[in-house]
Amino acid sequence: MRSLAIGATGMIAQQLNVETISNNIANATTTGFKKQRAEFQDLLYQNFRRIGSTSSDAGTVVPTGVQVGAGVRVAAVARVLEQGNLNVTDNKFDLAINGSGYFQITLPSGDTAFTRAGNFKLSPEGIMVTADGYPVQPNITIPSNAVDVAVNASGEVLVKLDGQVATQNVGQLQLATFANAAGLEAIGDNLFLETPASGQVVTGAPGTPGFGRVVQGALETSNVNVVQEITTLITAQRAYEMNSKIIKTTDEMMQQASQLR
Amino acid sequence: MENSIYVALSRQMAVQRQLDVVSNNIANMNTAGYKNQRMLFTEFLEKPGLHEKVSFVQDRAVVRDLQTGPMTQTGNPLDLALTGQGYFTVDTANGPRYTRAGNFRLNDQRQIVDGGGLPVLGDNGQPLTIPPNTTDIKVSGDGTVSTELGQVGKLNIATFKNEQFMTEVGAGLYVTDEEPQPAPADTKVAQGLLEQSNVKPVVEMTQMIEIQRQYASAQRLVDSEHERIRTMIQRLGRSV
Repeated sequence: MRSLAIGATGMIAQQLNVETISNNIANATTTGFKKQRAEFQDLLYQNFRRIGSTSSDAGTVVPTGVQVGAGVRVAAVARVLEQGNLNVTDNKFDLAINGSGYFQITLPSGDTAFTRAGNFKLSPEGIMVTADGYPVQPNITIPSNAVDVAVNASGEVLVKLDGQVATQNVGQLQLATFANAAGLEAIGDNLFLETPASGQVVTGAPGTPGFGRVVQGALETSNVNVVQEITTLITAQRAYEMNSKIIKTTDEMMQQASQLR
Repeated sequence: MENSIYVALSRQMAVQRQLDVVSNNIANMNTAGYKNQRMLFTEFLEKPGLHEKVSFVQDRAVVRDLQTGPMTQTGNPLDLALTGQGYFTVDTANGPRYTRAGNFRLNDQRQIVDGGGLPVLGDNGQPLTIPPNTTDIKVSGDGTVSTELGQVGKLNIATFKNEQFMTEVGAGLYVTDEEPQPAPADTKVAQGLLEQSNVKPVVEMTQMIEIQRQYASAQRLVDSEHERIRTMIQRLGRSV
């Protein structure tokens, strides 16, 4: 019976929905995390009686046919790129992006990864690195005799050296944007990679048109709204239950048919 | 003579297919833009004898409930919902397709595409391309798409005289031979919202219970008819 398979497609889709929501909730406090949402599509339709077919010699047209759908599938797990809240930490090396763009990170393999998580630290050599120790691109080295570091909205890193009055520019942060940032591939550790779907990377200074501004001493929190996630979780659970009821009903009907004497 | 069994059978066949339709509704209860479907039955009358009439049931049509589904807020600037009549137009290799599912996004060429990656068409029949280095996409109520650099284009929102003539082709898309009409003035595009499916799960659940009971009662009819014929054969056979 077709409904058995249809119920199964519904259960599979809802299972993935719950998995997506779980990952959102698990990352509710992950810096720079962007929530994901499962999107569904109806499957193909089978025509038992085609719409527009004639129903008599006089050419009367059937206004609506009999078409039965084959269920549902997950079309995409899309990332929602809404800005997260800015959480003030007062740590000099915590940088948040207000607007669009990604920090560029050099992976150990030499490839470039992209991140919104600006919880940077200093390496023993004074290079600005991520929590995993991967250097920020372009490399920014803070001299060991620096007493204060300031990063302004346009990404200039200014240090005040011991015994000096004037600040000194030691580097310029660059942000990366993409034609379709939702098409980036997540590789974990808050990092993303460029894909054919995202389009070519475009770099520019923070604050220039199309690029966000850098906020020092703040971190971008995840954009997960926990209350919303919980309500979606309940909806998903109920949907899963109802799809299992389809299977139960179909099974009972098949049982009746098989008990025919 | 065995007509009553066939009548019950016609009911069982129809009800089974009705369950398929209800199942599809439930499976798609979280599918954006999905429209609930109902099966229509008609009587199929046959006159096997001069004064005899036998009435069967036939699943005649599946109609769509065209009510607007509830809206949810998503926070994605390219999630668009239509309030009132109308369909978004997307481009496929086989001509335009129409959809109510407004979960759009950008592709790598910054074209607005639907969930399946098909370009969404503007009123000039061309895909809408968001210029590079713009971040602020605004869609106004009449479907005009603009960024901070100005207007990009206008969404093509089509309506049709008879929406029931439209055929589902899956993935939330419809195809039709009818000429598209411009959308009425009261159709508005809402940005950041998504039209959910208009399936009412409770109604579908009760439908399913009803289907199950009807299937069982048709089954009992077949059973008792079978019993009746058997008794008849046994009794008539004994007297010989």
